[in-house]
Amino acid sequence: MTYNIIGKRFWFFLVSAVLIAVSIISLATYGLKPGIEFSSGSILTVQFDTQVDYDQFQQEITALGYPDAIVQRSGENRFLIRTGELTDSEKQGIEAALTTRFGQVTEAQFNSVSPMVAAETTRNASIAVAIAMIGMLLYVTWAFRRMPSPFRWGTCFVIAMLHDLLVTVGIFSLLGGLLGWEINLMFITGLLAIVGVSLDNTIVVFDRMRENMIRGVSANFEIVANNSQIETLGRSLNTSLTILITTLALLLFVGASIQNFVVTFLIGLVAGTFDSVFVAPGLLVVWNKGEWGRFIPFRRPSLEKA
Amino acid sequence: MTRNNTIVALIILVIFGFSLWTILPIDSSRLGREGLRLGLDLVGGVNLVYQADFSENATSADKGDAMDRAVVTIQKRIDKYGVTEPIIQQLGEDRIMVQLPGFTDIEAAKGLVEQTGFLEFREAEIDDQGKPVYFSDYVAQDQLHFIDTGETANRIFALPSSGTSGEPRTIAILSQSGATMTLIDAVGNTVDNVTSLSQYGGAISWVIARGDSGVPLTGELLESAEPVLSQEIAAKPEVSLKWNAEGSIIFDQIAKRLYSPGSSYEPQYLLGIFLDNGLLSAPRINSPQFGGSAVITGNFTVDEADELANLLNSGSLPMPLKKPPLFQEKISATLGANFIHLSWIAGLIGVLLVMGFMIAYYRLPGLVASIALVIYSTVLLAIFKLWPVTLSLAGLGGFIVSIGIAVDANVLIFERMKEEFRMGRSMGAAIEAGFNRAWSAIRDSNITTFIACIILYWLGSTAMASAAVQGFAITLFIGAVISMFTAITVTRTFLRLFIGRGMADKPWLYTVGGGKK
Repeated sequence: MTYNIIGKRFWFFLVSAVLIAVSIISLATYGLKPGIEFSSGSILTVQFDTQVDYDQFQQEITALGYPDAIVQRSGENRFLIRTGELTDSEKQGIEAALTTRFGQVTEAQFNSVSPMVAAETTRNASIAVAIAMIGMLLYVTWAFRRMPSPFRWGTCFVIAMLHDLLVTVGIFSLLGGLLGWEINLMFITGLLAIVGVSLDNTIVVFDRMRENMIRGVSANFEIVANNSQIETLGRSLNTSLTILITTLALLLFVGASIQNFVVTFLIGLVAGTFDSVFVAPGLLVVWNKGEWGRFIPFRRPSLEKA
Repeated sequence: MTRNNTIVALIILVIFGFSLWTILPIDSSRLGREGLRLGLDLVGGVNLVYQADFSENATSADKGDAMDRAVVTIQKRIDKYGVTEPIIQQLGEDRIMVQLPGFTDIEAAKGLVEQTGFLEFREAEIDDQGKPVYFSDYVAQDQLHFIDTGETANRIFALPSSGTSGEPRTIAILSQSGATMTLIDAVGNTVDNVTSLSQYGGAISWVIARGDSGVPLTGELLESAEPVLSQEIAAKPEVSLKWNAEGSIIFDQIAKRLYSPGSSYEPQYLLGIFLDNGLLSAPRINSPQFGGSAVITGNFTVDEADELANLLNSGSLPMPLKKPPLFQEKISATLGANFIHLSWIAGLIGVLLVMGFMIAYYRLPGLVASIALVIYSTVLLAIFKLWPVTLSLAGLGGFIVSIGIAVDANVLIFERMKEEFRMGRSMGAAIEAGFNRAWSAIRDSNITTFIACIILYWLGSTAMASAAVQGFAITLFIGAVISMFTAITVTRTFLRLFIGRGMADKPWLYTVGGGKK
């Protein structure tokens, strides 16, 4: 045996634990900055033909009765105003006042979301994730029904996916806290894409473990897992590399408008490859060997020799 | 085996050729579809989501029925404005999403959806010789004036469906205010030169149908309309109408005037049904007296009878919509044009780089996989175009992941092939074994992907982020299905072809030099 990947499983768990801890701390500290799709209110983007000063613009908005509005410059003579939900007449009032003050104004973009929708989007997304998890758990358990205790395979599969989602969301929240990025539909799309890739990676490793079990490579589950990890490593790296290529091409050519998608996707791609290849099989080994006790410090049973 | 393989290869080439024909050039018109349908986030436009305001005791059957009608009504209203490919669809139980690509005025869009439709009944204008008046009679006038001077309300010039034109169609509307006559066309533009519309001379001039006291027959007097089957042995779909008390009297007065026994389908015996000035149907009056109910017969299919009944019922929407909309969004098209162009380049370069990588790493199989990837992209685009699948930013994300999945299947197979070869199998046997052994992983990963897609699609049908999430789910689902075909069937077929050509004994073509064997 050239490499012993599975033997280092507790190191990988440590890396995982650190990532998860960072994610949770970041989520607790910074949270996620919701974009318009996930919060209520209106966003109005206006474009002026003439030079308009940011400070004057903000003063005007405050003077119009929106002192809490968030005003951002979003391009040359283009401003984004974020307020509570605007009615049609309020919006027209703002546009009329801006025209009087600064000259010709064009409404470049307008979004308005009622509070009810915002709450529902979050709720439905959570329900969908929960149902998806259960669906996968059932399918994987069924697909690995010839293995001893197939339910463990399904559970570890789902854990790997959750792990990936949590770390991706957590790191994005860190970036959000540091750089002010909001979660928007691009972010959600990136997360969805990550689920797709993460599923594949885990299935491939598990599939090889299943096959090696059936072929009777070794009676020791640890060796089976290790062989499978080594055998599929080339494939996992190659696949991730090809996906990386397409994603980077997209980022280079399409640019900032899909930044959230690409960043989310890249974080998830790295985290997903890591947890599928190193963490999920490790967990399965720990479970099958009943090593849970090792997670409790100072009560380490001696390591079984492979 | 070889012969079957050749047949499969030919079928693949036919599919590929058909797909190429479908998508080249990309904005061509093929099988009734023109170009790719791009999402709002790419072309710009208006996106509105309305909440229907039902009374508290509405049953879910009532709601379902009312929602269907509301969707049809809004669709009709929007169709008249010639918005290309609007999407009007029900979200969840009681919401309606309206997406108008390319529409830039959000207030006008809301006006269009929120207006209450106006249903009215009209009859043909009759000149002093008792003959029906056609649009050509107006075109022939030196100075526009109403021919039947007794009726001062507007004229609608419309072709009934019986002609060669197919669907009933409104051509123009002539109205009088004071001494000035205004002619506007069906989309509301003023027409200065009447003769520009002279090819529609056959359109009938319709005036408002009034009872003896002058009360017009409108949708308010209609109690209900429903699709029924006729009481004949060979039952045919028809639409049954029920008038309220006032409507029954007025309708009978009009019927008495328009009825002519034994007459044929001629304008003066028709009752035109108009929704927001658009002609829905022009049935002939078959009896002088109806006593409050009537049926519209004709060569209806069940669906057509359903739709007409829906429209008759929904002169106004079956329920009010809450205002302002739950979700409203106007996306400027400025992001659009350049963005689409760049995405194409990005996609192309991404695919080329992946192909380069595959060929460098796997050589001959890599080349075959690259061919499969080209076929994959072509077939996928063809499906997107013909389905049509709305391509949005999220759809693009799904596309990228599905390329990953397609390549992944090949990587799995090829890695497997190398292993089998190193274990001492012949190249031919190693290839077959590679495909067989990799199958379980490909199957399981695709099935989990399908599960994810189906659940995401469901999420999209209820939540607000709908279009994006659904777009992602659909593109990924279709992509995964097609990739199973291209990455497995296509690669295997072509690899077998090559092996049959004496390329089996050159291991360097497969990057598995003899060293490790």
